[in-house]
Amino acid sequence: MASVEISALRKLYGDVVALSDINISIPSGSFYTLLGPSGCGKTTLLRTIAGFHRQNSGTIGVEGAPIEDLPAYRRDVGMVFQDYAIFPHLSVRDNVSFGLKQRKVPAGEIARRVGEVLEVVQLGAFADRMPHELSGGQQQRVGLARAIVIEPKVLLMDEPLSNLDAKLRVDLRAELRRIQRELGITTIYVTHDQEEALAMSDIVCVMYKGVIQQASTPLEIYMEPTNRFVAAFVGANNFLAVSRDGTAASLAAGGADVSQALASLAAGIEVVCAIRPETLHVSTGHTAAEPQDIAVPARLREVSFIGREMEVFGTTKAGDEVKAVARPDPQVVALAPGSAITFRAARKDLLFFESGETGGRVA
Amino acid sequence: MSRLRLRFEFWSVVTAMVLVVLAVLLILPILRVLMLSFVDADTGGFTLGNYVEAFTRNYYLNGFKNTLFVGVLGTLGACLLGIPLAYFNARFHIWGRAWISTLAILVLVAPPFIGAYAWIMMLGSNGFITNFFASLGISTPTIYGAHGIILVFTLKFFPFVFLMTQTALNAVSKSFEDAAENLGCTPWQRFRKITLPLVFPAISTGAIICFVLSIADFGTPAILGRGFRTLSTIAFAAYRSELGGLPTMAVTISIIMMAISMLALVAQRRILAKRRYASSLTNLPVKARLTGWRNTGVHVFCHGVVLVAMLPTLVVIYTSFLQTNGPVFTGGFGFESYRRILHDAPQAITNSFLFSLAAVVLITAFSALISYVIVRRENAASGAIDFLMMVPYLVPGVVMAIGFVTTFRSGSFDLVGTTGLLILIYFIRRLPYGVRSTTSSLRQIKPSLEEAAVNLGAPPLKAFLTVTVPLIVPGLIVGSLMSFITAINELSSTLIIYDSGTITMPVKIYLAVLDGEFGLAAALSTVLLLCTGVCVYAVFRLADNRDSAFV
Repeated sequence: MASVEISALRKLYGDVVALSDINISIPSGSFYTLLGPSGCGKTTLLRTIAGFHRQNSGTIGVEGAPIEDLPAYRRDVGMVFQDYAIFPHLSVRDNVSFGLKQRKVPAGEIARRVGEVLEVVQLGAFADRMPHELSGGQQQRVGLARAIVIEPKVLLMDEPLSNLDAKLRVDLRAELRRIQRELGITTIYVTHDQEEALAMSDIVCVMYKGVIQQASTPLEIYMEPTNRFVAAFVGANNFLAVSRDGTAASLAAGGADVSQALASLAAGIEVVCAIRPETLHVSTGHTAAEPQDIAVPARLREVSFIGREMEVFGTTKAGDEVKAVARPDPQVVALAPGSAITFRAARKDLLFFESGETGGRVA
Repeated sequence: MSRLRLRFEFWSVVTAMVLVVLAVLLILPILRVLMLSFVDADTGGFTLGNYVEAFTRNYYLNGFKNTLFVGVLGTLGACLLGIPLAYFNARFHIWGRAWISTLAILVLVAPPFIGAYAWIMMLGSNGFITNFFASLGISTPTIYGAHGIILVFTLKFFPFVFLMTQTALNAVSKSFEDAAENLGCTPWQRFRKITLPLVFPAISTGAIICFVLSIADFGTPAILGRGFRTLSTIAFAAYRSELGGLPTMAVTISIIMMAISMLALVAQRRILAKRRYASSLTNLPVKARLTGWRNTGVHVFCHGVVLVAMLPTLVVIYTSFLQTNGPVFTGGFGFESYRRILHDAPQAITNSFLFSLAAVVLITAFSALISYVIVRRENAASGAIDFLMMVPYLVPGVVMAIGFVTTFRSGSFDLVGTTGLLILIYFIRRLPYGVRSTTSSLRQIKPSLEEAAVNLGAPPLKAFLTVTVPLIVPGLIVGSLMSFITAINELSSTLIIYDSGTITMPVKIYLAVLDGEFGLAAALSTVLLLCTGVCVYAVFRLADNRDSAFV
């Protein structure tokens, strides 16, 4: 249980910048998730905190004490590995007691603590099994028990659920979170699965190309992304081209004047408009907008009815590809490709970003 | 980075220590040999005269030609036996396949010089086959000379080509052969145009091993040569005659031997560089069932080859139980030869075990450390160590021994004593066997296991000992057994270094053969074969792939 402060952390592989000026502040007891596509630097950051990589510059503080120069075996941060890393030649009990023996904890106390932690991860009956007798999910519980039994100041988890099948992943996700809450242990969690990140975390930190894009609560990450990358990576999003002419601005696809929303933005900056698929409504034919709405005319490309909802794919006259996810409408489902449709959204659901991969939020 | 690197310092120390050991025990003796070859024996000054002499005097030139002659033909013979054997075993149902590969492996690990003198007992001037045909009034060709050496090399080294080619054949996707057939190839065209080129890298690797071992072999030409001299026997003789002075001619010949091996290896690598085939093994090769005379012929060939190759070993074991009186076989069976080794050569037996076991203990410890450095730490130093692990395969025993003696012992200066020298030379020459086996074992261990141990608070050495070592134990044991087998059978370098108190079994056998004491030699050889056989059995039980553990 400790706060973690990382400041100005840099890591280079030759000329490649793996981590660029990372600044993170993690409150004690919180569940902090590093989210990003593969190669974004999230695992490098986690392994640098663990001491398996060495930073080129910057500091890592746990409870105010710097740990960036300590060897990995003296950092006192627990780690759960993607491939479990359960010692195959040791029983469950010996795996879990490994760290305690390393710390010269008396035998009686080891027995008690190992027993307790195995109950916590619901493996009490498996103490004398060998790893190869356990399923993947059980092995990862051993990995968790082994990491938390030493009562580390910080718990690191490197995609711990990615090798499990979908159903088990969801079950274990809830259990990990329950255990983390009960122990109140500061946790840094790495994943590329955004649903996992949003469901488990107190704070989600989105990384891309070695740079932190945004670190906020899950709701903020989703509702108020601070740049275009976050808007595109977390959840699905449509990006529509915006035409600006002096102070006037409108969607290139037609159907919406957005001058008011961009009134304060300097002229000449190129902008795109982001609309989440689930905020769009779809109607047949071309219809005009209400004042609080926008209405974008388009041609239907494809509609797929998947039961609970329908996915409508259309192309605007400006060439934007638009996807909507909406409650099934028999009239829309029955349309032939090429039919005229209108995508409709509330103005309050529109977000504007500077164009470019990581363009910032402008309105 | 200005800050001191604290992490992994343990492994940096290990890397440095390994480099120092290799520099002293491997590089230094070889450099010493190289330097001595440019020294004038009389004046002590620099000269190219040794090389001029080696390439102008007929005595040396003939040795050079003879070495290449028996080396190339021996290798060719090994390929002619090994490739068909591999093809038949990989593509057809052969009754007793495990038996065939077991015998091939036994041939591989049996002491090399045993073959030579067993053939003398069969086809030598007083051999029992010679005598049998003589009693029928037929005179058989003599075993002595080039053709005898080529025969022994062929029968001794074909298992390398066989086992390597067989492994490669089992990894050729059946789709390639199906496609060739579909495009109109006859079976023979298919083999020649598709299968053979695909397994060529493996064949050439097997062949190059045969060639390098043939060049380096001392026992066979020494026993069967009778005036037919190869570079290894010339270097040994030169070393013996130059004792007291500088062994400049011996080292010059040694350098030429090494150069031949290295040139052959470089040439093979050059050829191979253009032939790297990626292949996904989705469609496993299928074994066909032959019928009729083809089936009979293939079986006769496969079993015939391994049985003939095993013949020397069987003859040796049989001979060891014949009753003797001194060097004369008196007829009937008995344990006289064994009584004699207990009486005449107990020291050779204890020395052999003592030296080999001591070397193996060192090899085991270093194998574990070196393979960790090679596999887990990718930097220039570990790359250099990986490369240096190939060198002992290429340096003939005679060369290494002359390097050792001239570096660590000259005149009254004797750094480690003869016992120490023998243990160290076994160590450095057989270390690659241990490292290779341990390395392949370690590559299968996920690095995250060691990281987990470190993360839980174990310092690098502790993590290595408690997590890594227990997991690579099978590889370590197989490597140790392989190095033990090859160390206890070592002849050529021992012959140069040993003195009266440090005689070993192979040396004793060699001397007994030269004295015509075949009974004594046979009994000692049987003891060696027994040790070897026990180790082979242990490797079979422990190795993942028993065939490829030996090549």
